[in-house]
Amino acid sequence: MSDSQQTQTQNRTRTETTGNDQPLETTSGETVEEARAEWTEYDFRGNAKMVAEDLDVYYGDDHALKGVSMEIPEESVTALIGPSGCGKSTYLRCLNRMNDRISAARVDGSVQFDGKEIYQDGINLVELRKRVGMVFQSPNPFPKSIRDNISYGPRKHGDIDTGLLARLLGRDDSDAERKLVERALKQAALWDEVHDRLDDNALGLSGGQQQRLCIARCLSVDPEVILMDEPASALDPIATAKIEDLIDDLSEEYTVVIVTHNMQQAARISDQTAVFLTGGELVEYDETDKIFENPESQRVEDYITGKFG
Amino acid sequence: MAGATRSRLIEGETTTTDAVAGVTVGLSAILFALAVGALFEWVSLTGTVAGLPTVTLLGGLLIGLGVAVSLFGLGSWLGYVETDPDASAGLIAGFGAAVPWFVIGGGVVSQTLGLGTGAGVIGGLLVGGVAFAGTAVPREDVGSTVPLGALLAFVGAVFITGTIGPEWIWNLDWEQQASVTAEFLVPVATLFCALYGGWAAAKAYGRFGARGRHMGAYVLVYLNALSIVAFLFILIVFVVVKGLPGLLTGVEVGPGVGPQVFGLFELPVSVPLVMNGVALLNDFQGVLPAIVGTVWLVVGAVLFAVPLGVGAAVFLTEYAERGRFTQAVEVATNGLWSTPSIVFGLFGFAFLIPRFGNQKSLLAGMLTLGFMLLPLVLITSREAMLSVPDEYRDASAALGVSKWQTIRSVVLPAALPGVMTGVILGVGRIAGETAPILLTMAGGTFVPGGQTVNVIGGFEFTGTPPFVANPELLQATSALPYQLYALITAGVGLGSNVADPDGFRWATALVLLVVVLSFYAIGIGARYYFRQRLRHE
Ligand SMILES: Nc1ncnc2c1ncn2[C@@H]1O[C@H](COP(=O)(O)OP(=O)(O)OP(=O)(O)O)[C@@H](O)[C@H]1O
Ligand SMILES: [Mg+2]
Repeated sequence: MSDSQQTQTQNRTRTETTGNDQPLETTSGETVEEARAEWTEYDFRGNAKMVAEDLDVYYGDDHALKGVSMEIPEESVTALIGPSGCGKSTYLRCLNRMNDRISAARVDGSVQFDGKEIYQDGINLVELRKRVGMVFQSPNPFPKSIRDNISYGPRKHGDIDTGLLARLLGRDDSDAERKLVERALKQAALWDEVHDRLDDNALGLSGGQQQRLCIARCLSVDPEVILMDEPASALDPIATAKIEDLIDDLSEEYTVVIVTHNMQQAARISDQTAVFLTGGELVEYDETDKIFENPESQRVEDYITGKFG
Repeated sequence: MAGATRSRLIEGETTTTDAVAGVTVGLSAILFALAVGALFEWVSLTGTVAGLPTVTLLGGLLIGLGVAVSLFGLGSWLGYVETDPDASAGLIAGFGAAVPWFVIGGGVVSQTLGLGTGAGVIGGLLVGGVAFAGTAVPREDVGSTVPLGALLAFVGAVFITGTIGPEWIWNLDWEQQASVTAEFLVPVATLFCALYGGWAAAKAYGRFGARGRHMGAYVLVYLNALSIVAFLFILIVFVVVKGLPGLLTGVEVGPGVGPQVFGLFELPVSVPLVMNGVALLNDFQGVLPAIVGTVWLVVGAVLFAVPLGVGAAVFLTEYAERGRFTQAVEVATNGLWSTPSIVFGLFGFAFLIPRFGNQKSLLAGMLTLGFMLLPLVLITSREAMLSVPDEYRDASAALGVSKWQTIRSVVLPAALPGVMTGVILGVGRIAGETAPILLTMAGGTFVPGGQTVNVIGGFEFTGTPPFVANPELLQATSALPYQLYALITAGVGLGSNVADPDGFRWATALVLLVVVLSFYAIGIGARYYFRQRLRHE
């Protein structure tokens, strides 16, 4: 299938869903599903950790995500790239149902986590979000000390207890807390900068330090899937390199989905890459090398080479 | 103007003109202070200040200020002083100058010349119109100085010539007896003139233009803020000075003179006013039962209202869908907060008292004041929770923390300073309430020291539900605002019991002030502590 055909197929998909533009004739006899099947269901080794099927998201009347189907393989790094406003964050929020928290948002479709449908009644959101962690696009530490920011999650899950009662009962976890804080901060490449002021308020950190703190906080509850929304956008090259190393390490045990605007970063760290384009469609999803060296779609090639934002 | 500001991008060193303008600003500050002093009768109008009769001195200073300001404006206009004035002082300044000139013109025509009201209004309008035109039409340097300078000089001349002397009085021919006296007019007129003069002088000091306007506004704002602080200070000092003698009556210092504390040791000081009740054989009478009553009243009301109000705020902000229902609750709480306290008192009288042994009681007072406090706690807690960023809630939810735990560990701590502000304001209001206490709680005006409520010691365990009882809570007692009210209006029981009734009242007022301010201080301290925990230490 040639690039131009692919483009036209994509255009048709879009006009079908929005219903505004005139439908374009497809030159090949392929259906949309067949065309898409070529690149969405590429053959990855291992199991799918999360599977999204026909995911549509509406903000009021605004159709922000259009029929996205995508399988995320476990213990790998999946990068989401695309121009601003194309729905990357929206898609990411579908994976741990954070969209539920936006009252205007409505989600149609299905997402499975370890084979279980998460958009069904009776799903335990607390457990889901514990296992599918998230680092937000803008840093959002709690107005608490650095230490408390990290130990907050485990404390609330009852894994750590340093309260008065626990101390009286002889179950003081201060040691475990210290280890956990140190490990999380080291993983997030923040330990060296803050180890001597763990009791200071986290809001006194710089923007980049806050973002790394949020990564450390996310790691503290030991999730299985980590969703990262541009975690390195506020970081200098050195910290970025450290975070990239971290993501590399994490991919041995965890499933990482990362949104980035930085093509080189996506190419460096990810195993597979999904390209979203304006309008909320998933245009192409394949192994990272394939996407960056030989994309199927002309639009994706244009985007990657910077001809089209 | 844009061209003019260019030359003054870099400010030169202080020049003589700066010094002159600065002295003028200082002069108006002195006049302001003198006027405030005269208004509060610290400076006697009939007496002398620095060897001169007060009114003459005020007049002289006003003339000096007016002439200096006018000269500065004219000098600027004639080019002797380097300034960057705008084309006009503006309409607002015009109105500002027109109003006092209208009053003066009207007064002179109708009273001094005796031409009647109609002529007075016309005369006032004429004079005011000229002042308006004189301010708004010419260039800013003349417009904002000469009409006001003339005003100052005119008022100064009236004072210095004795046209309005210390004994001056103007009887208004109204049905009720009313008159304007020099005691009131002179300080107020001086005050306004000082404000006008200070404003004009500050504009001159800033060399007119944008910078001058800035200076003028600063002077007005500072004088305003200063007078608020000064007023608060004066009020407190006044009560302290008046109340201290009563408070210190019969004070003894020495080992073992004071009452026992918790049966452990004896205080080394004895202050009868705050340590005694009233008894026939007391050497010195005191208000201890009322102090304890007030403290328990506030504590009880806070314990009742804060959990309820914060709980309702949590429900409304975090759980209820925003819509008609929450709006209705909001309107209702706002309405409740504006309900007069006597209505709350009546509610307590008609609804609570029959349910608590059919007599006035501390508990009924606590609940009534608690109901008064509730709406404010609810409103402020809700505002505080709404202003906690949603990012915190998202972050917590993304860690798999349940909603209730998020509220408890993230939202409430972040909202706590705001909640504290509400409680502080509310306590300030209820601690001084008299009417509800009168209806729900107060027993006799003078309560013997033996009847001081002992709420903690009053708890008893019983064999039947609800298993605890506290007769102390069901007793009528007194509170400071009520006691003060009774002392003043009825003078109940004074005379032989208290040697100096007036001193006793002021001392009670002082104690009330100290009690309320102590609550206030505790609240501010707590809020500061919680704020520190949210910010970087
Ligand atoms: N809370 C919201 N309410 C309404 N519309 C929203 C909301 N969040 C996102 N949108 C809309 O959904 C579309 C996709 O937004 P999204 O945040 O997913 O983009 P993005 O790809 O993450 O962009 P960026 O790279 O700038 O972060 C946008 O058009 C945006 O206007
Ligand atoms: Mg985004």
